[in-house]
Amino acid sequence: MRDTVVIAAQTLLLAVLAPAVVGYVRFAKARLQGRRGAGVLQPYRELRKTFGKGMVIAESASWIFHVAPFAILGATLAAASLAPVVSAVQPADVLGDLFVLTALLMLGTFFLALGGLDPGTAFGGMGSSREMTVAALTEPTLAIAILTLALTTGSTSLGVIAGSVLKTPAYAVGPGHAMAFTAFLIAMIAETGRLPVDNPSTHLELTMIHEAMILEYSGPYLALIEWAASIRLALLLTLAANLFLPWGLAASLAPSALAAGFVAILVKLGVLGLLLALLETRVAKLRLFRVPELLALSFTLALLAAASSFFTR
Amino acid sequence: MDATFSRLTMTAASAMLLLALVVLWRRHVSAYITAFRTQSVVLAFVGGVVAWYGHVPELFFVSVVILILKGWIVPWVLSGMETRRHSARELHPLVNTETSLLVCGALAVAAYEISRPLAEVMNLATRGGLPVALALIFVSLFIVVSRREAIAQIVGFLMLENGIALLALLGAYGVPLVVEMGVFLDVLLGVLVMQAVVYHIYETSAD
Repeated sequence: MRDTVVIAAQTLLLAVLAPAVVGYVRFAKARLQGRRGAGVLQPYRELRKTFGKGMVIAESASWIFHVAPFAILGATLAAASLAPVVSAVQPADVLGDLFVLTALLMLGTFFLALGGLDPGTAFGGMGSSREMTVAALTEPTLAIAILTLALTTGSTSLGVIAGSVLKTPAYAVGPGHAMAFTAFLIAMIAETGRLPVDNPSTHLELTMIHEAMILEYSGPYLALIEWAASIRLALLLTLAANLFLPWGLAASLAPSALAAGFVAILVKLGVLGLLLALLETRVAKLRLFRVPELLALSFTLALLAAASSFFTR
Repeated sequence: MDATFSRLTMTAASAMLLLALVVLWRRHVSAYITAFRTQSVVLAFVGGVVAWYGHVPELFFVSVVILILKGWIVPWVLSGMETRRHSARELHPLVNTETSLLVCGALAVAAYEISRPLAEVMNLATRGGLPVALALIFVSLFIVVSRREAIAQIVGFLMLENGIALLALLGAYGVPLVVEMGVFLDVLLGVLVMQAVVYHIYETSAD
């Protein structure tokens, strides 16, 4: 019973916090670019508005088009339930480890691509094919980068990884760790469709990836997909914060430790979100044909990190 | 103390390898030169760390020379060569970027595997960095053979030299001072000769 509550509370926290993370990154970006920017809570208002709207569905759409938004949100929520958010004591460790997490994220991407293909429009198909090109390299990179930590700590369960890095800070200083973190960040940017790979704030570009796939969606379905996308961003930022830099994470379930863990994750998300906004302000979008090169770089880094962790043990 | 020593040298060695990998991804000569300059500064840092923890005071002198020669003079000469190059700014590698990154990943893993027995029998605190140094040598060699433009090949060759210096620092806490000075003179002379030769190449053929 207690385990269920812990898992549900952490998942719920991530799901509720996610739109605010997106709003915060947008706000920080606007300020860096000298604009006033919408408030941090703007994505919630957008979600409420989109949920209340009617839907226009293409005649050529099959049942897959209707299933996809629920499958995407479901897979993303299931993946989010595995992550240690506030406490390193994560009962969901018995349900799945880092491979399950990667597979669930991949499942969400898969349904997103299917949903883009289904109505048979040119933009949707283009977006799906691009998304698959990117995903084929990012998912293994994410898995190998986390696997590096698993090799150092001796467990593939996310909670145990965070806990043992917390107990032995020496694990967190070293070449393998740094390379894995870099690889993870590059893969995360590609996976969440942020700037050097995909531009999250335009809809009118021939190079768009994420927006092209969801072009046919409207109303509540669009809201579900947008919400899932924000959860994915929050989840990956949380993983980056809590697996690679786990300080502040609660080591037990005592109320004071949990409160400290809650503050810590807010601070860490704030810092990482600010870094993301800084990066997005500084870099220009890559040409689409250079994206696989960047991803190959991150894959090589992850591979080297995993190989070098055999030496530091 | 020993743990810090080993961590510091390993992290710095990995940073040097990382800079060699970055070169594979970039397409402009100025990025190549910046990567080489940063790599040389990191090499000087490794020299300082080995001098401090390994109690080899003469290495302090060596790292200062590295800093001046490879961190300042050689990049300066290279930048001069680059400004005299009139042809297209972008480099065209013989092997495409994805393939060369994956090849270098495989090369690095091979280097790890080859040097594993060596690292196991040694008892120096820096032994963890040996595979990384060997990987750096392999990757730099790949840069030399896979680039078409002469200036990119020179940067690859200088990185190869950095890798050998790193191997000497980590594997033996540096070679005797006389040998080190000889190597420095060789590098300086080599770069100057290459500068003249490359200038002739540009003169006689349009790249």
